[in-house]
Amino acid sequence: MSEVLSWVFAILFVLVVIAWYLSYKAARLDRLHVRLSGTLAALDARLVRRAEAAVELANSGLLDGATALILANAAAESLEAPSEHGDARELAENDLTEALELALTPQAVSTLRSTALGQDVLARLASACTRVQLARRFHNDAVTDVRRVRRTWTIRLFHLAGYTPMPHTVEFNDDSPEHLALV
Amino acid sequence: MRIGIVCPYSFDVPGGVQFHVRDLAEHLIGQGHDVSVLAPADSETELPGYVTSAGRATAVRYNGSVARLNFGPVTASKVGKWLDAGQFDVLHLHEPVTPSVSVLALMAAEGPIVATFHTSMLRSRTMQTAYPIIRPSLEKIAGRIAVSEDARRTVTTHVGGDAVVIPNGVYVDRFAGAPRRSAWMGTPASPTIAFLGRMGEPRKGLPVLAAALPEILRSVPGLRVLVAGPGDPEEVTEDWPPEVVAACEFLGSVSDDDKASLLASVDVYVAPNTGGESFGIILIEAMSAGACVLASDLSAFSRVLDGGTAGAMFANEQPDALARTLVDLLRRPERRAELAAAGRHRARLFDWSVVADDILAVYETVIEGVAAAHLEPQGRWNRFLRGGAR
Repeated sequence: MSEVLSWVFAILFVLVVIAWYLSYKAARLDRLHVRLSGTLAALDARLVRRAEAAVELANSGLLDGATALILANAAAESLEAPSEHGDARELAENDLTEALELALTPQAVSTLRSTALGQDVLARLASACTRVQLARRFHNDAVTDVRRVRRTWTIRLFHLAGYTPMPHTVEFNDDSPEHLALV
Repeated sequence: MRIGIVCPYSFDVPGGVQFHVRDLAEHLIGQGHDVSVLAPADSETELPGYVTSAGRATAVRYNGSVARLNFGPVTASKVGKWLDAGQFDVLHLHEPVTPSVSVLALMAAEGPIVATFHTSMLRSRTMQTAYPIIRPSLEKIAGRIAVSEDARRTVTTHVGGDAVVIPNGVYVDRFAGAPRRSAWMGTPASPTIAFLGRMGEPRKGLPVLAAALPEILRSVPGLRVLVAGPGDPEEVTEDWPPEVVAACEFLGSVSDDDKASLLASVDVYVAPNTGGESFGIILIEAMSAGACVLASDLSAFSRVLDGGTAGAMFANEQPDALARTLVDLLRRPERRAELAAAGRHRARLFDWSVVADDILAVYETVIEGVAAAHLEPQGRWNRFLRGGAR
């Protein structure tokens, strides 16, 4: 009888250990998912601010009409789908990066620097571009961490990730316009 | 902003990470932020007001060198108390992969965490054994900073993911305003060059300079070589030809002010380092002081010198290349002035005002991310699990 009891306890003990391990794993993954949703929201916010800075530049009246139109169009595309993610969004952000690069020629930058409004717009844009880079880097770091943890067999076998879709890194060209940094 | 900074190395001894932490903290305090630094220190060591001591450090072997660190349950509880008392908006850990207060803080902390990786020489064996233990904690770091491209490579290969490169800062104005000293200034007939660093350490490159000197002295007989840094001159110069020894003046260890004056006074500052440099802060100090810099073409140096536009470079470990470039520089004062001016301009990029702004942008990004995550609706189950994870 006592032998049966000790077997029962041994099995119970093993089950408790397994349960603890699984809940620890689930908590770790949950913490990562929380971090991920945060970094994505931060990236969204930063992208919106960059697009707004681009709109401001386009409306400043300090760029020539055609360039301002291209820039305003690219910024509007980016602002139109702020919460959408995927290829379309990445394409829009790529276009905005390209439009900024096109708009900010060395001459345009020096014209802008000669007025107080221009300096203000440039400073805001430079800071927005840097922050987009940071936010994207940190988001992709979080994605890498999540993907690594979700590849482990316990997570897959016990379906600990639930129905949360597998995250993907956000890839687009986020270089600051080359001539923006000119002093 | 309430900022908590953790430095793993003892404030009793000087070191790159300690200086970085001290300068960053002082700059942020100057900008009106509320900064507290946690670091090991002896009770006798005089600490600035913003530093909290985590207790006495012990010398331990880790990652192939002896470091003064502290750890253990008493330290862990001190770290916990410091975190509770601080209520920081952001926690900034330095070198999170050392057995130290940094890793203890990482394990205990919740909320926005930024970590800076300084070292570029992590051993893979150390990493393989340490990783399973601290990997779950490392996942809490929301923003990773590397101080150089080499440090960043360490992060990408060992930690996974990526890091933003934000270089070490320099207080450019402290060097830019250094007075020149006539004893160290060269004349057209007798120009001066400077070498700084531990003489006995071959990777600092003094042997390369010594090998190049006979050739240089043939072209510029009046040259004076000012050697500053710890070491025994007699031991180092043992096998040197007598005319080379005669051209050298050994200044021994110099104070920070003297170092700045020396860099500001000489015609050319030579950095013949042969390797193991992940950054090259001394080059930036020399550029700030207005020296014309001649450095070996290590990748770290090349990045600081912008590929040779802000200072001259020569092929690493090649005394004849060093001799050729140096003689050319000594004969062309207008070229020296040009490089010095370009160097002064470039040094501004590494000033603490620029570097600290980048670090603050990281803080803000990370805080924003964590704040956004907490706005998400949370189930009880989630909260229960997260509570259990502590």
